[in-house]
Amino acid sequence: MKALEVIIAIGVILGAIFGLSALAYALGGWIEAGFPFFGHRLVESGLPGWAWVSNMLILVLGFVMLIATFLTLAERKWSAMIQDRIGPNRATIDLPGLRGRPLGGVFHVATDALKMLTKEDFRPKVADALLFNLGPILAFAPVLALFAVVPVGPQVTVFGQRVGLQVANPDFGMLWVFAIASLAVYGTSLAGWASNNKFALLGGVRASSQMISYEVALGLGLVGVMMAFSSVRLPELIQGQTTHLWGGTVELPRLGAVNLGIPAWGLFLQPVGFIVFFAAAFAETKRAPFDVPEGESEIIGYFVEYSGMKFGLFMISEFAEVVILAAITTAIFLGGWNIGFGFDSTLTRALTQANLGWLLGAIYATVFWIKALLLCYLQLAIRWTFPRFRYDQIQSLGWKILLPIALANIFITGALILVDPSLRSLAVLGFVEIGFVLALTLRRPEPAGHEADDAHLPADAHGHAPPPLPGAAAASHH
Amino acid sequence: MAYKATKNPTTDLRERLFLPELLRGLAITTRHFLRNLFNPRDTNVHVVDRKGPNLVSTVSYPEEKTPYPPGYRGLHRLVPRDDGKPRCVACYMCATICPAQCIYIEAGEYETTDPSSESRVIEKYPTQFVIDELRCIVCGLCVDACPKDAIRMDTGLHTPSEYNRSGFVWDIPKLLQGPAVSHASDPWNKRASSATPPHQHHEPHTRIGEGLVPLKLPTGEQQKRTEVTDQAIPVTRFLKD
Repeated sequence: MKALEVIIAIGVILGAIFGLSALAYALGGWIEAGFPFFGHRLVESGLPGWAWVSNMLILVLGFVMLIATFLTLAERKWSAMIQDRIGPNRATIDLPGLRGRPLGGVFHVATDALKMLTKEDFRPKVADALLFNLGPILAFAPVLALFAVVPVGPQVTVFGQRVGLQVANPDFGMLWVFAIASLAVYGTSLAGWASNNKFALLGGVRASSQMISYEVALGLGLVGVMMAFSSVRLPELIQGQTTHLWGGTVELPRLGAVNLGIPAWGLFLQPVGFIVFFAAAFAETKRAPFDVPEGESEIIGYFVEYSGMKFGLFMISEFAEVVILAAITTAIFLGGWNIGFGFDSTLTRALTQANLGWLLGAIYATVFWIKALLLCYLQLAIRWTFPRFRYDQIQSLGWKILLPIALANIFITGALILVDPSLRSLAVLGFVEIGFVLALTLRRPEPAGHEADDAHLPADAHGHAPPPLPGAAAASHH
Repeated sequence: MAYKATKNPTTDLRERLFLPELLRGLAITTRHFLRNLFNPRDTNVHVVDRKGPNLVSTVSYPEEKTPYPPGYRGLHRLVPRDDGKPRCVACYMCATICPAQCIYIEAGEYETTDPSSESRVIEKYPTQFVIDELRCIVCGLCVDACPKDAIRMDTGLHTPSEYNRSGFVWDIPKLLQGPAVSHASDPWNKRASSATPPHQHHEPHTRIGEGLVPLKLPTGEQQKRTEVTDQAIPVTRFLKD
């Protein structure tokens, strides 16, 4: 019964994503068709036409902000489930049909927002008013600007116009990500500085040193993928990942030619790059285990003086960073909207023939967001699994481990691409690396090691089983 | 850093690589997450009795209540007689023994014409019997001290919350509640002669908590678990062997 409810909830979420994507495509097509004298710029210059307006509204303000908002709830609810708690379930709406039904705590999103908005917007008297107000803005704006180059859906034909779910597709795609991501540090350091508070200043210094340290690894982690696909534009990276490494086309009855090969996903080509990029980007989001700048309950951070919605902006920008990191990682390493296993060609052929471009695009965008949401879950699970790094550990991880690994990865990747431009030897290396880590992970630990696994607890007693009675213990020994 | 804090003595490759251990940690948390996500929560009143794949052991308090063990000392009550008057004879024993001094009694004397004072078996009764529930430390000494079984703590209730302190001062109308109790030894049950049949108890067995508040007790096996035994629990039970 509970499982059914969960499946229905997942279906509702996916349906909403699908609907919003379809709406984005339809709106983009309508705008392109409605403004013909502005349109058709897409084909010539590679820039989308006037659909970027609707894309910006729906992708950035719709998808990113909605998912980030619900992630604030998910953070609380998922962490509760991870920790065997119930989580927020008290907020209800006193309407017929909803009375007394918390619906998994959805209404806590509204209560949280209301709380943030109605709290006193306090500013310390000694704080610099301009910089103090500029802090949250500078922390929040780059995060949203980052999403401009992320392609959510492919270019399809809607109302006779080519429409893609991307705000902008500049030639410098990935470099925009690096440039804007490094701007976010201004927000945090300004917040720490303008608060005129020693602890906030120290927090801002910690944040900026951490973010600047990981910029290097962040950029170098992606160089391998850029070399493999010879582009820095995200749509071309996704297009490159739809090619198949091995396996050929199979003629299937009723479906025609289907390619069942292994797609050249960035994760297969660049597992090390994936780890380096993901760890570095995780440090950029300043979330646990990298939350030394502003550990929620223990460490006074750079936004200690902020209250109300200014604090809310810092918090929501953190979750927006989670969404955008997930989206960028999906686009670069998980093949974007690519489904694989032969679905793509069949789907594209069928829906293009039926002239249902919007449907094709919406399905692909849904696939993209499924991958991105799984990565969001991964980030939240990481945040609730790993203990916080000490400050020196953060620096040594960034400079002494991630940076050399990223450099070595670049050299090896470059050499392999030079030797074998078909990327197959690179993929072999990638699979070997993945297999090595998996083999180490699945290896049984030494019996002497203290294993933190809870599999040994009695399955029926929630881990609360009382110790056996002396008589029972003695009986079992005999 | 003043000390070499990052020096890692571990030589195991898996732990040195860090990544496999991270994946194993993620597997544990994800397993907990999925078990709790897809399975209904067992709302058994006793957490130790909760079974099933869902691991949440929270008791959602106002909706779910763990039953109190037998012998739980709840809110006081003044035990009524069959005729509805308190059994109390205003002997002041409870007020005397009360370490918190939360009981205040004013004694009154039955008029000789009063029908309930027939044969003068009861001389006194409380005109005021007041317990300050905020001062009460729920030690139960008053119940032990009472020679007339007139005060009990068998309601199984908490003191209800109030908006001001005076609400916690309970007097006879609030205290006098619950089923009436009469004993064969009660003086008003004294038979005129042995020809009269002996008094039948209305509440023949006066176990604490009996028949008063319908406790939400678990059924069957769980009831056995919470059974009170006379034997002291051996200390070794709590030691791991």
